[in-house]
Amino acid sequence: MTFTGAIGALCMFPLSALISVSVALRVHPNVLTFVGVLINVLAALALALGRFALAGTIMIVANVFDFIDGKVAEQLELRSAFGGFWDSVMDRFSDISLFIGLIYLYAQLGRTDYVMITALTMMFSVLTSYTRARAESVIVKCKVGFMERPERIVLFMIGAFTNRMAAVLWVICVLSILTVADRIIYTWRELNHDPIGTIT
Amino acid sequence: MKMSRLLTWPLIILWNALFWTYDRATWQYDLMVIAILAFVWLTPPTWLGDPTASGPGLVGWLLTLIN
Repeated sequence: MTFTGAIGALCMFPLSALISVSVALRVHPNVLTFVGVLINVLAALALALGRFALAGTIMIVANVFDFIDGKVAEQLELRSAFGGFWDSVMDRFSDISLFIGLIYLYAQLGRTDYVMITALTMMFSVLTSYTRARAESVIVKCKVGFMERPERIVLFMIGAFTNRMAAVLWVICVLSILTVADRIIYTWRELNHDPIGTIT
Repeated sequence: MKMSRLLTWPLIILWNALFWTYDRATWQYDLMVIAILAFVWLTPPTWLGDPTASGPGLVGWLLTLIN
């Protein structure tokens, strides 16, 4: 098992218990998704106030809801096309809220440079999701690029807990730009019957 | 191993890192995670002009120690 695989397996223990409770209470997955978004807005507020450790803690709670909604939907056999759509839209809402919180903080501190870096990071984070969604309407699958939402969220939490948000923003920004580029190149090559992939 | 093959290795690694197609929980993914965490935690916040971070960071602390 890899290092990141082991961390994932370890995190699954408490999450399994929460999934079981939600299934037993028959909580609708769309409600879980919405609660997660509301909690994320609180995290954005904490970021805006510069309370990074608090923001990180709230983000953990919010993302627990975000993670378990799909599993609960599966176990309650409530998976639906609308559920998937709702989840995606709410994910974008959560992501953008966190970035707006940071933009507000940096604006308050008079740091125009970091306002711009955060805005750029927000733009490419949204484009990361958009390029995949749009690509998969014309090709079968477009799962290339490193910086997807789970990576972004974990990095945000690391930045918040260790007070290294600037470094995290740079990483998310650069890797999101690369991910968007990867997806554009991949889609272009697939549509032109010229597949591209890992070189060995 | 041929010299040309050895010379192309860094380019192959660079290409595979830039054009990312690996899944999560692979050793390549672990390496990328370690590289990212190293950048986040080791880079002195002053190098990036971090508006909120305090302290020199690990590299800054080591540089102070050496100097």
